[in-house]
Amino acid sequence: MQRPKSKLKFGYLSAISFVIVGFVLSVAVQSHGKDIFDQLGRTVKLTLPPQRIVSLAPSITEIIFALGRQHLLKGVTRFSDHPWEAKKLPKVGSYVHLDLERIVALKPDICIAIKDGNPKEIIGRLESLGIPVYVINPLNVVAVIKTIQDIGRLLGAGEKAHHLVQNMHLRLERVKSTVSKAAFRPRVFFQIGISPIVSVGTDTFIHELIVLVGGKNLAEGPVPYPRFSREQVLGLSPEVLIITSMTRNAIFEKVKADWGRWNNMPAVKNGRIFMVDSNLFDRPTPRLIDGLELLVKLIHPALLRESR
Amino acid sequence: MKTPMPFVWKRLLTISCLLICLLLPVMFLGLCAGSSGTQFTAVYDALTGSGKTDSMLHDIIWRIRFPRVMLALLVGSTLSLGGLVFQALLRNPLAEPYILGISGGSAIGAIIGILAGLSRFPGVSLIAFAGSISTLLVILFVTSGQSMVKKDILLLSGVMVNAFCSAVIMFLVSITQDTRLHSIIFWLMGDLSIAETGQVWILLLMLFPCFILLFLLSHPMNLLLLGREIAQTTGINIMGVTMALLITTSFMVSATVSYCGLIGFVGLVVPHFLRLLLGPDHRILVPACVLGGGAYLVLCDMLARVLPEQGEMPVGIITAMVGAPIFIYLLKRSKA
Repeated sequence: MQRPKSKLKFGYLSAISFVIVGFVLSVAVQSHGKDIFDQLGRTVKLTLPPQRIVSLAPSITEIIFALGRQHLLKGVTRFSDHPWEAKKLPKVGSYVHLDLERIVALKPDICIAIKDGNPKEIIGRLESLGIPVYVINPLNVVAVIKTIQDIGRLLGAGEKAHHLVQNMHLRLERVKSTVSKAAFRPRVFFQIGISPIVSVGTDTFIHELIVLVGGKNLAEGPVPYPRFSREQVLGLSPEVLIITSMTRNAIFEKVKADWGRWNNMPAVKNGRIFMVDSNLFDRPTPRLIDGLELLVKLIHPALLRESR
Repeated sequence: MKTPMPFVWKRLLTISCLLICLLLPVMFLGLCAGSSGTQFTAVYDALTGSGKTDSMLHDIIWRIRFPRVMLALLVGSTLSLGGLVFQALLRNPLAEPYILGISGGSAIGAIIGILAGLSRFPGVSLIAFAGSISTLLVILFVTSGQSMVKKDILLLSGVMVNAFCSAVIMFLVSITQDTRLHSIIFWLMGDLSIAETGQVWILLLMLFPCFILLFLLSHPMNLLLLGREIAQTTGINIMGVTMALLITTSFMVSATVSYCGLIGFVGLVVPHFLRLLLGPDHRILVPACVLGGGAYLVLCDMLARVLPEQGEMPVGIITAMVGAPIFIYLLKRSKA
């Protein structure tokens, strides 16, 4: 009768020691993994640096490519079209309608999400499935630069991020000093929607860029994407009319011809209607500075000629 | 005139068994297939508990696909049953579960919730539910005291309330410009991707008693179809039965709509489809709608998840694309 009892005891002991060892191990693993904070101040638990990343917005994909960490990208959202290699990566739905199952199937160490755009329910569900989510929230040009640094640090690409950011700062300062010589602020109407006519309010990247290059955004105001009638636009008499278009030249030529009928509009009189690639202006990526430089050319062509 | 009971029970049992035999494989398929690929053996292993499934697949099967299959089943059942009841109650073949303005009220509530920045569950769902229940109350108030079944007044007030609501919806959509617009549109198209196990259980607890109650009312429903006068002679309380049907159905449709938005077509066509196949006896049609409607939506949702290359599409597109041609075919054949 003794033996089975001792066997039982041994069983208990080994079970207990197993639990203890397991606990110690798990603590060790946890202390090895580091808690970091994302841009919303939430705690993100992960083992640094992550090896498998799913990007939940085209802008995030661009930043990761710019940081040279594209080999870690295992999934991206639809419309991740820059650089072109991004188009070949597996898709996990669009950034507003993510496909949870595909994300989980890619076994990411971390997902990088953007606050304005990704539905917060999905972020909650990813976390409940044990996938850490790092949320970025870039609201202005300075925050975009910080975001690039943050993602660089997260992906162990701090140095590359530093170079990128330095370059962006440099170009930003150059634009600022060029523009500071401007004698006046041209009246800019920035048209992001064709039918209906939609422009950008104060709370957008584009507004910030227009102001940075010394233009006056005619649509400034509390509504982020206000709608305009043709009459209202004519009444504002814009000196520069910039149209973003995702669909290419054919539509632009038509829109330009439509505006061209209003000869009294200063922008038409001086032939200053331009089309630009919307992706340079609405994505918080390093290319935002390209957009900024392009705007200087369009809004203050004379200043650039002088500085050369 | 009454059919002998044993016959009905036998027929009910046969048809239920047949439909369950259809439902189970469809549910199994729903678990196997998804946007990340199809895994038959792994799901079989996971179900029987044999072998080791890797933890990622386990999560996908049990925490993503399973609640979704269950939700599709519940919503399909509810909408089909809702359609069946309203078609009988209003004696109008075009009646659908949203006929009394439930969709409109619910949508207004949901859009207000989304605009206020609430989370999808419970915030948006609760407001949507409140919206649909208040439209129902408005309709009951408007029609109270009138002989509502006879004069089509119920039907007409429902159509009018829905028309008013859709104007409000258009207004709200037209003043929304940011990313919340996407949430609103996805809500209006119906979305099963939000399914989460705990929430689906809550829904089941709300819906199952309604299913039972409607089954108990299936015989009076048969009598109602014979017309008021004949129904009265059989001694049923027409007013009571009508109210019970109305409120139960509206309640369960409101619950599903407020959780997963407007999924069209199922409620209009599945009941007709089953009626063409099985005849007009509601004692059979009620359980058939629960099982058949459920199976139909599970199947459609599986297709919605699997077919698109770049991520799933709204299930409502599939329900109509698959269902309408089949229905037209059946209709033509039954006339011939």
